[in-house]
Amino acid sequence: MEKVFRCPGRHGYAVEVSPFIPHRVACAASQHYGIAGCGALLVLDETESGVAVVQSWQWADGLFDVTWSEANEHVVVAGGGDGSLQLWDTANRGAPLRVAKEHTQEVYSVDWSQTRGENLVVSGSWDQTAKVWDPSLSHSLTTLRGHEGVIYSTVWSPHIPGCFASASGDGTLRIWDVKSAACRLAVPAHRAEILSCDWCKYDQNIVATGSVDCSVCVWDLRNVKQPISTLLGHAYAVRRVKFSPFSEATLASCSYDFTVRFWDYRRNRPLETVEHHSEFVCGFDFNLHNPGVCVCEEHETIHWFSGCSFEGRTAVTATFALLSGSVTSLKPQAL
Amino acid sequence: MHRLKILAGHLSPPGAAAGGTRDVGAAECGSAGGSGPQDVVVVHGRRTAIGKAKRGAFKDTTPDELLSAVMTAVLTDVGLSPDKLGDVCVGNVLQPGAGALMARVAHFLSVESMSLRAIGEPGDLSSRVTEVDKARDCIIPMGITSENIAERFGVSREKQDAFALSSQQKAARAQTSGRFQREIVPVAVRHADGGAEREVLVAEDDGIRAGTTLAGLSKLRPAFKPDGSTTAGNSSQVSDGAAAVLLGRRAAAEALGLPVLGVLRASAVVGVPPDLMGIGPAFAIPAALQQAGLTVADMDVFEINEAFPSQAVYCVEKLGIPLEKVNPNGGAIALGHPLGCTGARQVVTLLNELRRRGRRAYGVVSMCIGTGMGAAAVFEYPGGA
Repeated sequence: MEKVFRCPGRHGYAVEVSPFIPHRVACAASQHYGIAGCGALLVLDETESGVAVVQSWQWADGLFDVTWSEANEHVVVAGGGDGSLQLWDTANRGAPLRVAKEHTQEVYSVDWSQTRGENLVVSGSWDQTAKVWDPSLSHSLTTLRGHEGVIYSTVWSPHIPGCFASASGDGTLRIWDVKSAACRLAVPAHRAEILSCDWCKYDQNIVATGSVDCSVCVWDLRNVKQPISTLLGHAYAVRRVKFSPFSEATLASCSYDFTVRFWDYRRNRPLETVEHHSEFVCGFDFNLHNPGVCVCEEHETIHWFSGCSFEGRTAVTATFALLSGSVTSLKPQAL
Repeated sequence: MHRLKILAGHLSPPGAAAGGTRDVGAAECGSAGGSGPQDVVVVHGRRTAIGKAKRGAFKDTTPDELLSAVMTAVLTDVGLSPDKLGDVCVGNVLQPGAGALMARVAHFLSVESMSLRAIGEPGDLSSRVTEVDKARDCIIPMGITSENIAERFGVSREKQDAFALSSQQKAARAQTSGRFQREIVPVAVRHADGGAEREVLVAEDDGIRAGTTLAGLSKLRPAFKPDGSTTAGNSSQVSDGAAAVLLGRRAAAEALGLPVLGVLRASAVVGVPPDLMGIGPAFAIPAALQQAGLTVADMDVFEINEAFPSQAVYCVEKLGIPLEKVNPNGGAIALGHPLGCTGARQVVTLLNELRRRGRRAYGVVSMCIGTGMGAAAVFEYPGGA
């Protein structure tokens, strides 16, 4: 079943499913593809019949990423084109609880950590620095320098406390340790810009990168001389990569080529390509609560798909009819 | 600009990429500025049908009736009371005292009755006119200027006939598919035929000849010069009609709660040799585009007046305008050319066509002007919300 939400005049940049409320997502959006104009932060609930807007806020500049608090179901942090991070409360339709303005250029990535009781936020900016914050966003705890290009993505390791990965326009994937405020590892992963990275949920050594060179590469941090898998198929730059929370070997990527693709990186092959989008797909997320729900986002539209299932060895042939309101059917097939 | 550069870098990175086609890149395009309260906006426009002079729908109708019909329609449509109008400007060519110049940006209403006034009566002119070449050229009959262009620039009879045929076909299609319904104001007129008078409601252009063929056009004799290429069939028709366009500053329109149909982005008037007056658009259009910071490629539609096929073809080819952008609903050859009315008529037709297409778009209105001028304006249709 596919549900669609349209936000006219806003290009979605990032979407994240709430860790507490299974049918709730937060979405960061910008006017004019994020090039100029203002931004919006939307909190949406998927209902039986469609989609309900829980809260929506406007921001004077584009918003490029959003992350839910792991401690409080009402709290969400967004990163904006004006270099700010904002702390929002879904119960409060007014101004954000807090605005932190330290980055000197666009904040393209925000992530809330979820390991072992630590509560930290990491932000990645086009000013080439990453900053770590406590949940009140009062001021940054550390600033991490080292990248020689804009930072597109900063993601906490789900396994190792105080450790995050970053993807940059300088073509490197870097692993950072917050305690020592240092870069532990710099991998020259691509010759072109790297727009996204993510950690495998099942293996703490595995990280994926998505690049402007149209490839998705999967790395074992114990041996970074070459990737353990190179996944080719996207026709344009890869905008975001995410590992599946359900299946060890599965990850998904979205691209400027209007598709979302699913891959089995162990067997180095594509699983499924969702081709029916009509615009750049910038963001998507897996739903932890409901196995197989992917939330895709693109120009003015957010789609929910239910029933993607890549458990185990099942390959899925999906017939998605992506006209709004239509029903999709998925038939898992054994290999 | 920085963000634009970064995003553009994602789509066309330096060096080759593994897999994928590289047919995407950034293309320069203009935007002619955003929207401000000082913008000159077109609130609304209507026109009467165009009737053939002397024999057509408005043969017995005085220009003030036509004027009154369109003026009233425009004001009624937008619910504006006449006392709110600041300036009323009427364009006319052949009325006594009207002169042969066209009003410019403050061009509100345009009307012509070529049934009641003839071209051959220029009125009072200094006897010194004949002594100065360019001044003398101002009273060259228009058809001769068309022949001059055809000869000087090598526009063949075949090309001219083909252009005329296209105008007729486009206009016929537009008429039968009802495209003009929104812009035409029906006018009730009286026809005096013999002793009897009858009342007729005129709502359709009567000059369009849907059955035109190349073969038929090629048989016609030149109308202005024995060995010429301009004929009655491939030239604009002598016609009656009126059109009205309501303009204002955006701030004024908003204050009065009026809609915005279009935005005037640029306008230009240029001088050209009077004996080649038809080349006017070839110089006026680039001037207007430059003023707007836009290019031919940015325009969706060009309304270029088809005074004569020689000059229309010349201008289109000189500027490299794709033919499918030119007068998509036909032009003066098929619709007729009520002289002082045409400019406003083109604006009405242009904006209605852009509105029909639905998207934000730019268009050009342009014409040549007898005595040696060209005028052009760039309009923007703002599109939906």
